[in-house]
Amino acid sequence: MERRREALVGLVVLLGIAVGVVGTIWLQGGLRRDMVELRAATANVGQLVAGAAVRFRGVSVGRVDAVAVTPGGEAVMVHMSVRPELVLPADAAVLLAPESVFGDWQAEILSLTELDLPYFVDYPEDGVLPGAALPDFSRLTATADEIARNLTVISERFQIAFTEQTALQLRSAIENIGEVSDGLSEIIAQQAARFEDLSEGVNASAAELGAAARVARTSFERIDSIIGSAGAGEMLGDAGAVLSNLRSLTDELNSSLGDMRAAAQQADTTFARFDVLLAAAETGDGSVGKLLGDPTLAEGAIEAVQELRALLADIQENPRRYLSFSIF
Amino acid sequence: MLERVSGALALVGGRTITALQGMGQAWALLMASAASLRNADVWLPHLLPQMARIGVASVPIALFIATFTGIVMSLQASYTLTGTIPVYFVGTLVGKTMILELGPVLTALTLAGRVGANISAELGTMRVTEQVDALETLAYDPLAYLVVPRVLAAILMFPIVVLLAIALGIGSGWITALQLLDMSSPEFVKGLRLFFLPWDVWFAVIKSVSFGAVVTGVGCYFGLRTERGAEGVGRSATRTVVVASMLILCLDAFWAATLL
Amino acid sequence: MSIQLVDVEKAFGPKEVLRGFTMRVEDGETAAIVGPSGSGKSVLLKHVVGLLRPDAGSVVVDGTSVPELNRHGLAQLRQRIGYVFQFAALFDSMTIAENVGMGLRRMPGWDRLRIAKRVEECLALVELAGMGDRYPAQLSGGQRKRAGLARAIAPSPKYLLYDEPTTGLDPVTTSVIDRLILRMRDELGVTGLVVTHDMTSAFRVADRITLLHGGRARFTGTPSEVRAASDPVLRGFVEGDPDLYYGVGWQNEGINVGGHDHGA
Repeated sequence: MERRREALVGLVVLLGIAVGVVGTIWLQGGLRRDMVELRAATANVGQLVAGAAVRFRGVSVGRVDAVAVTPGGEAVMVHMSVRPELVLPADAAVLLAPESVFGDWQAEILSLTELDLPYFVDYPEDGVLPGAALPDFSRLTATADEIARNLTVISERFQIAFTEQTALQLRSAIENIGEVSDGLSEIIAQQAARFEDLSEGVNASAAELGAAARVARTSFERIDSIIGSAGAGEMLGDAGAVLSNLRSLTDELNSSLGDMRAAAQQADTTFARFDVLLAAAETGDGSVGKLLGDPTLAEGAIEAVQELRALLADIQENPRRYLSFSIF
Repeated sequence: MLERVSGALALVGGRTITALQGMGQAWALLMASAASLRNADVWLPHLLPQMARIGVASVPIALFIATFTGIVMSLQASYTLTGTIPVYFVGTLVGKTMILELGPVLTALTLAGRVGANISAELGTMRVTEQVDALETLAYDPLAYLVVPRVLAAILMFPIVVLLAIALGIGSGWITALQLLDMSSPEFVKGLRLFFLPWDVWFAVIKSVSFGAVVTGVGCYFGLRTERGAEGVGRSATRTVVVASMLILCLDAFWAATLL
Repeated sequence: MSIQLVDVEKAFGPKEVLRGFTMRVEDGETAAIVGPSGSGKSVLLKHVVGLLRPDAGSVVVDGTSVPELNRHGLAQLRQRIGYVFQFAALFDSMTIAENVGMGLRRMPGWDRLRIAKRVEECLALVELAGMGDRYPAQLSGGQRKRAGLARAIAPSPKYLLYDEPTTGLDPVTTSVIDRLILRMRDELGVTGLVVTHDMTSAFRVADRITLLHGGRARFTGTPSEVRAASDPVLRGFVEGDPDLYYGVGWQNEGINVGGHDHGA
């Protein structure tokens, strides 16, 4: 009787402790086998925290151990442990991206030849992989929204500002812009379909982007028709400067998605200056001849549009680089 | 008029004094019991039987409750999580709530009824039939003989019972998810592991240790204070369940505020 | 050595139970305290073993002042005092043998065998031989009282305190218990203090009888002195005459006759 009770208590106690220990280890993701340390440097880590999954070609191969700013403060070091049998590509890099919209991020090991984003951070230390963090989805849609609005503004300004002569030279460029905006709206339509399951907000902002692009398209067509029919203009001042700003806008769009916000700000200043320009033209201060005689205007416009096209082509080819989120 | 006011004041004052006296007596009992830990020769032989009575015997009811809690959690989680939230969050919800809250608290509340009332009635009967006095006259320290082994046994066994309950609750939630919600095991496990921290388990253990001490401590306190026969025994048991349940929930909030 | 109570006062809230009670029990004698239910007899007895502390006055047992003893000192003293409870207060969860052996287990030098032997002896003494493995619930009221007595005498105490040893027993069982009390005194040399309201029993077992009335010792004397006393209160109690005990017209003054024994 006494012996049996002792045995029963012992059994329950051991069972409870075993359940606690084994359960904890199992829920943590199993015992750490001999893992290999891997480090990567990034400019920032987004929402990545210790414990996040490390994936290689979509397969979970380890965990993020720690995230810490480097001593110099110039980058963030992501410490990971991965399975020892994992063979990394020669030009391995680490991309931090959201795993789902619920804030759980992952670190993905990939090859730079597969995906070469200009904003990968190269840290001058042996064994540290270059790393990059994708902008948060909400940030991306916000930036896209801003671009769309700015495109609309640009088209409105063009409608008012340019007259026959200038426009003639700009004509082909504008046609191309029209193509670009078409392409953009098409991509956006595709992306919108991909994110069908997403929340209303995301859908709406994607639709907005598409609508803005379409508005831009019609605006350009209207400009086109004005240019084709109307008489010579009598306005405008330093349009060359406007165009160079436009160019730097596309430059920045091209260079880094992470800097999209800065690019958008740049666009804003561009338009502000455009306003000043228009005001000057209206009061008769401007010199139309200067504008018409300035070949950089047309050249600049054409260049800007070419760069926009290149960006668009890149987006079409590698949509993942810009809008790649495996939502679930 | 004046009399009524002073009557009301006297009532409030009287209640306050009674409450403070109760707290003081509880504190005195706690201190005296701690001092009685020295008499290991008295309480040690009773520790194991009490572990069997308080811990092992409580396993079935705790597991029963945990099983149904797991099922309900799983079903309600899937009902709540619709549309944009992925189904594997059912696993997260079941795991987190079972470990952090429902496992320890529901088990403790149940055991407040099962163990607390039992202790209170037992010690209360011993008090009114002078068995507690008899212990003293036989040169036994009643605290070491009655209180210490019960409280210690609960401190040792509550976490064990709670861990088993948590495991079974998660298990039943898992089976529900597989059978009734058309989820797959990897999905459920993914959700389970998503926000899991080993600290969660410690939190549950710390909570259940405190709950064990509260349930048995309150039971002993009201048991030993029992007066006036069978009616008093019943009243002590009722008070034990009420006070222990309240203290469990207060402690629960306290731990959540301090440890999380 | 002896039991000495001097001017003991004790109140429970507003209720004054003892108001300067004084008595002395000499070595080797058996004294009885009599009085109606609720007069504070059990309270008195609990002062002797330190279960209660007096508000004022002194309680000296075996040469030591009981209220001044700490826990350890009390434990030491209690090993020399056996206490027979009114309703035996046997531990329900234990057999009779385990109950009787309880007091021995804490004493140094007592192993299992020696305890078992002593338990058998004590059970034989109270005529319960062979009942050791029964549980208290399986015994009759008289048997339980005898088992309680066996438990009290097992550690061979110098003092035995009896709280209503014969209350609620039939006359035959009462005299069995009374004989046991006398045997304790005569064969074991135990100093006894019996609290009872059963005058027949008190006359039988006591060397001296004290009447507790109004929280004080009203009268103390040998049984023959008690029988011969002219004090109306004592005569009222002995003869069971409320008119004498409370004074004529007591019904109109609303005196509480019944009440319950405090702490019982």
